[in-house]
Amino acid sequence: MTTASLVFVVDDDPSVRSSLKFLLSTVGLQAETFESADSFLCRKPADIPSCLVLDVRLPGLSGLDFQRELATRNVCIPIVFLTGHGDIPMSVRAMKAGAVEFLTKPFRDQELLDAVRVALDRDRARRKHDMEVADLRQRFDSLTSREQEVVSMVVAGMLNKQIAAELGTAESTVKVQRSRAMEKMQAASLAELIRMIEKVKAPSEKAS
Amino acid sequence: MTAETQSPAQTSEPLDLQMLIETIPAMVVCALPDGSVEFANRAWQEYTGGSLQQLTGSGWQTVIHPDDVRGFAEEWNASLSTGKPFATEARMRRADGKYHWFLIRKALAIPPNQSDDSSLRTLIACEDINDRKQAEAKQRQSEIQLQVFFENSPNMIFLKDRKGRYIYANREFKRVRSITEEHINGKTDDELFPAEQATTFQASDRRVLEAGVPIDFEHVTMQNDGEHTSIAQKFPLFNADGEIYGIGGIVTDITERKREEAARRYIEESHRLVLETASDAVITMDENGAIGFANPATMRIFGYHPTELIGKKLTVLMPEWMRKLHDGGFRRYLATGQRHINWQGTELTGLRKTGEEFPVEVSFGELTRDGHKVFTGFIRDISARKNAEEKLRASERSLRELTETIPQMLWSAEPDGAVDYCNQRALDYTGLSAEQVRGAGWMKTVHRDDIESMSRAWTTAVSSGEPFQQEFRSLRAADQTYRWCISRALPLRDPNGRILKWFGTVVDLHDWREAQQALRMTQAELARVSRLTTMGELAASIAHEVNQPLTAVTNNGSACLRLLANRSLEPEVLRRALEEIVADGTRASAVIARIRGFIKKAPVEKTVLDVNEVIQEVLALAAHELHKNQVLFECQLSNTLPLVRADRIQLQQVLLNLIMNSIEAMTGAANQSRVLAVESRVDESGDVLVAVRDSGPGLGSQEDRLFTPFFTTKANGMGMGLPISRSLIESHGGRLWATTNSPHGAVFSFTLPAAGESPS
Repeated sequence: MTTASLVFVVDDDPSVRSSLKFLLSTVGLQAETFESADSFLCRKPADIPSCLVLDVRLPGLSGLDFQRELATRNVCIPIVFLTGHGDIPMSVRAMKAGAVEFLTKPFRDQELLDAVRVALDRDRARRKHDMEVADLRQRFDSLTSREQEVVSMVVAGMLNKQIAAELGTAESTVKVQRSRAMEKMQAASLAELIRMIEKVKAPSEKAS
Repeated sequence: MTAETQSPAQTSEPLDLQMLIETIPAMVVCALPDGSVEFANRAWQEYTGGSLQQLTGSGWQTVIHPDDVRGFAEEWNASLSTGKPFATEARMRRADGKYHWFLIRKALAIPPNQSDDSSLRTLIACEDINDRKQAEAKQRQSEIQLQVFFENSPNMIFLKDRKGRYIYANREFKRVRSITEEHINGKTDDELFPAEQATTFQASDRRVLEAGVPIDFEHVTMQNDGEHTSIAQKFPLFNADGEIYGIGGIVTDITERKREEAARRYIEESHRLVLETASDAVITMDENGAIGFANPATMRIFGYHPTELIGKKLTVLMPEWMRKLHDGGFRRYLATGQRHINWQGTELTGLRKTGEEFPVEVSFGELTRDGHKVFTGFIRDISARKNAEEKLRASERSLRELTETIPQMLWSAEPDGAVDYCNQRALDYTGLSAEQVRGAGWMKTVHRDDIESMSRAWTTAVSSGEPFQQEFRSLRAADQTYRWCISRALPLRDPNGRILKWFGTVVDLHDWREAQQALRMTQAELARVSRLTTMGELAASIAHEVNQPLTAVTNNGSACLRLLANRSLEPEVLRRALEEIVADGTRASAVIARIRGFIKKAPVEKTVLDVNEVIQEVLALAAHELHKNQVLFECQLSNTLPLVRADRIQLQQVLLNLIMNSIEAMTGAANQSRVLAVESRVDESGDVLVAVRDSGPGLGSQEDRLFTPFFTTKANGMGMGLPISRSLIESHGGRLWATTNSPHGAVFSFTLPAAGESPS
């Protein structure tokens, strides 16, 4: 289906791993399988949209512990949990921690494929958002420090006159700096600038 | 025949000389210088009975005794050649052929007459000394006899002169005094003996010389074989003039005699002492039954002074009823020699002066003195012994009662292991008689399979002296069943450590053993149950184990369907997928078969309980295992533990599982101290935390898989204990995890939320 994406499967059961890979291939999804969390962590992070299909019970780290471990490493990858038996408290914990789906084995193929698709979409969206933010940050970083100050005050809703008074400069100077900043940020309107700065100032708080 | 008539020469000799010779009242011959005899006087001729012719020349020598003639001739010739005086003794033959001793000597030399050329003449006188010679010989004979007598005397005999110089000492003297010199004549005591002894001897000599009478002295001298005592009888020696010229001594060694005397005195003294101090009364009696003697003990025993009894009838010392018997028996004995009672140690009854009757032990002796029989009686007061015997009997009786009534089987054995006693209870139990159990007879009751180990253990104990202890099955007579018993025995030793006897017990511990067996079975059951769980927990395991292959099957199936729908399913892909499906299906059924084996249903019933209580209960269950595996055990239980809401059985299962795991881990590892610690406390979040620590080998590389179902490190393990324990604890809202103990070992901890305020 989509070529530029990758599904990581971590399960200690080789049959489950190979069957998952086979199933994913029927919808054109490429999969890489791992028998443990550790071996997955050893792999270099993918730079294309990807997601993780993870068994809750794993040798070494358990699935939930692994989820926590990824978070502390600041690795943002959507996770689809698989579990041998339904365990509501566990699934709640997983979902709270940002899991895309919590599937009980055996699951219907469509459920898994849907979950994987959602996960990949989410990753794709995150990557797009991350790219945007990076672009905006780059633009913001190109501003002079005085221009950044002025922009911050503008976004905070201050008038030019107020800003000039605050900074102890002329209102005309503020006006020039403001328009130059708008230009550098490629902001068509004040409203757009405000949205841009919000994205820059709140860096990826909602990662997944 | 006369000289005148026979000798023509006679006429030529001067008459006076011839006359002179004839007048000498001795036998005389006249010799010429060449030694030949010129003539002999009548006396000579008469004595010898020979003619002058026979005697002239050297013919006169023919009358000399053949034994003496040679000596005589030598002397004679020597005198002739030197002119020295001549005197010799020789026997001359008388006319009747008998020999007499003569002193033959040159009596007179008659110078030659100048008028003629006559030679020097020598007159030889022959003096008859036969009487003297005979006396001398007799004397000599007597002296020899005396000397032989002295020399052979067993006494020491010596003679000394006034100055203490020895004149004579006999052989015994020399032997005893260790004198080796052949001749001690002229020597003094100073030269022969040590100074001290010499002084003693000389002092006694002086006394005899001064007193002039015989005196006896006792001397003690050291000889090679020790000290000897001797009596020296010393006496003065008088000469013909009645003057003392020396000292004689006869010494008699009286050592042996003294010793015998001392021994005799000692024996006599001993006899007297025995009689005087004997604790038994010793009484003699004559043929009339009258007492002749009684020793002092008689006073103590009977109350009569010995002198009071003398002459009295022996029967006064007997109670009235015995007297007739005694008299009758005594008379019969005197008449027939038949004893009516045993004479050695017979127990009879005595009668004290006070009239008191008491038990006595009497022995009799008999001897004949001056043709009359004398009887000696030794009478011992045995009232004390009788009392003691009675007491001992009582004590033995009570001891026997004790051993016979004590609710335990008792036995004893000789040092060689042969059983010599079993109490009544033991006999009743085995159904054997006292005779039958003796030696190794008791073995009959030991179960056939236990006989070898039993006899080996007993033999080992007997040979080593170590305490004996052995469990075995013994046949109980009452119901003819074999029951487990334990026998223990300890040796009784004398002060030197030698075993005198073995004392043992037998305890029937069949019931106890069965109870223990039951307990062990309960434990085993509990341990087994602890490996299982309620349906819920089991389902969790089943879900995981079965869902893995099911998931694979579903995935593979779904994938194939999708490809089929796309019409892009290639046969090779399909075949591979189907193969996997079959393999996973098989696997799933295998898992189910495995689980089915130990499904056990247990209802879950949660109540509010004290975790410490549960810990104590489980420890009681595990005590046997802890002890058996020599595991030291520590317990740190908090007093302030909140109650929890939990299923008691499940909690016990979890705890027992953890404890058993720890014990097994520790016993698997050698050379490590085995310490198990159970701790309970309140953790940071207010939950109850229970930790089981061990000093085993620790978690090692297996740590990750501990909680994986069916993972096990044990040969007989199912690999379900920890997963189930974890799921049990989790179903109670707690957690269970493992960490490493320091310095080694593992810690398994779990938490349980406090029950809160709700009372039930």
